Amino acid sequence: MKNEIMLEAPITINWAINNSCNFACRHCYSRNDTHDELARDVLFSCIEKVAKAGVLSINFGGGEPLLHPYLLDIASFASGLGLRVSMNSNGWLIDAPMAATLKAAGFTKIGISIDSHLPETHDSFRGMPGSHARAVAALGHISAVGIATSISTVICRINNASVKDLVSFALDNRAGQINFHNFKCSGLGLSNKDELDLSPEEWKVFYRSALAAKEREKGIDVSLDDPIIALLGARDTSSMVKGSVCGKLSLNIKSNGDITPCGFIPVVIGNISTDDLRQVWRESTVLDRMRNKKPTGKCSGCSKYEDCLGGCTARALALTGDMNNPDPHCWGTEGSESESQ
Amino acid sequence: MLKIQRNPNVMWREESDALADAQVGLDRGDDIEEVGTAVLFSGGAMLSINLLGTEIWKLCDGRNMDGIVKELFEQFDVQEEVLRADVQAFLEDLLKKGFITHEE
Ligand code: SF4
Repeated sequence: MKNEIMLEAPITINWAINNSCNFACRHCYSRNDTHDELARDVLFSCIEKVAKAGVLSINFGGGEPLLHPYLLDIASFASGLGLRVSMNSNGWLIDAPMAATLKAAGFTKIGISIDSHLPETHDSFRGMPGSHARAVAALGHISAVGIATSISTVICRINNASVKDLVSFALDNRAGQINFHNFKCSGLGLSNKDELDLSPEEWKVFYRSALAAKEREKGIDVSLDDPIIALLGARDTSSMVKGSVCGKLSLNIKSNGDITPCGFIPVVIGNISTDDLRQVWRESTVLDRMRNKKPTGKCSGCSKYEDCLGGCTARALALTGDMNNPDPHCWGTEGSESESQ
Repeated sequence: MLKIQRNPNVMWREESDALADAQVGLDRGDDIEEVGTAVLFSGGAMLSINLLGTEIWKLCDGRNMDGIVKELFEQFDVQEEVLRADVQAFLEDLLKKGFITHEE
């Protein structure tokens, strides 16, 4: 009874509710983005619109969403409409009372960004002394009130060789999940790419060790969101959409209401305050191209194309200008076969 | 008999257009087995299910297997043994994937 289905609306909205931040991270994709924010009443009606369209969950991000003046009201309103509400935060502002307030507002999961198990590395990368300690404390406060926790780590040169340490750190802090995010090359990530991004060969080494950790560690969900792991024979093809999930399961909404396929593709396909979400989802030519990618270059002969679909669309677009080009992180060569675990 | 319950962590949605298409197909006598009418989503796992699957899923509200089969038997023009076998196989799959739970 499993079938192919064309969804009528996204499952999840990643909502960058603001772009202000109290940190200065070197890989940030949004800090230099628009600082326009939707007015409170407009934001409420947009949330209602999203719920009516059939969206099931909203993940608030930013910037630092806790700096948004109405985040808690908006989250309560969204959860009251039956939406599953989660957030990504740097954790700085989450003490015990705030964790209780977040629970009351209906948050079911909170991801805390932690770039390294080493406090000094994390603090200097984030430009904020003491931020590691506060992020760790936030994890404790959140789980104490019964909100699911995850650690979000953007993989780059400061942490690519620390998979084991990062997973042990997550286990020690009783996080339910550790998300290893691939490096997207958007915003400051693009400006600092040379300094932070890995070579394709280094990505291969990283993913081998991350997949081994995923296999080994039963007490935590090691989550990898990069389609190119298909090249290591690792994609669970039965349960997820093929290639990137952006534009197939999820959309991104910016602080000014602009809709983009994902947070890392700066192509505006509508605005939530003025457009019909289902119509944008159905009729956007950009989404159509993302859902129907065509193999080019080495992807044409790749045995993994069906699962990988050319890798991360955002990265291909940012670095080559064409979303159909092979993901620049891919280490595969013309006609390469996958290696199994 | 075990009570069958949807896992509350699963997010799910019926797809109204697909549902309408399936209904039209069903009335016409088409084979609608391949038409997805609802989507279940749990963490990284996604499942799209057809009309019968969707009806079974909606009945996973604490009833037991007999209760589900009885309810569906009134809706679908199918032999009871065939229906029971389909329901059982589908529920086993959902249980294995963690989409439903069994309670005493
Ligand atoms: S060659 Fe293309 S399809 Fe194959 S793994 Fe690399 S990016 Fe994916």
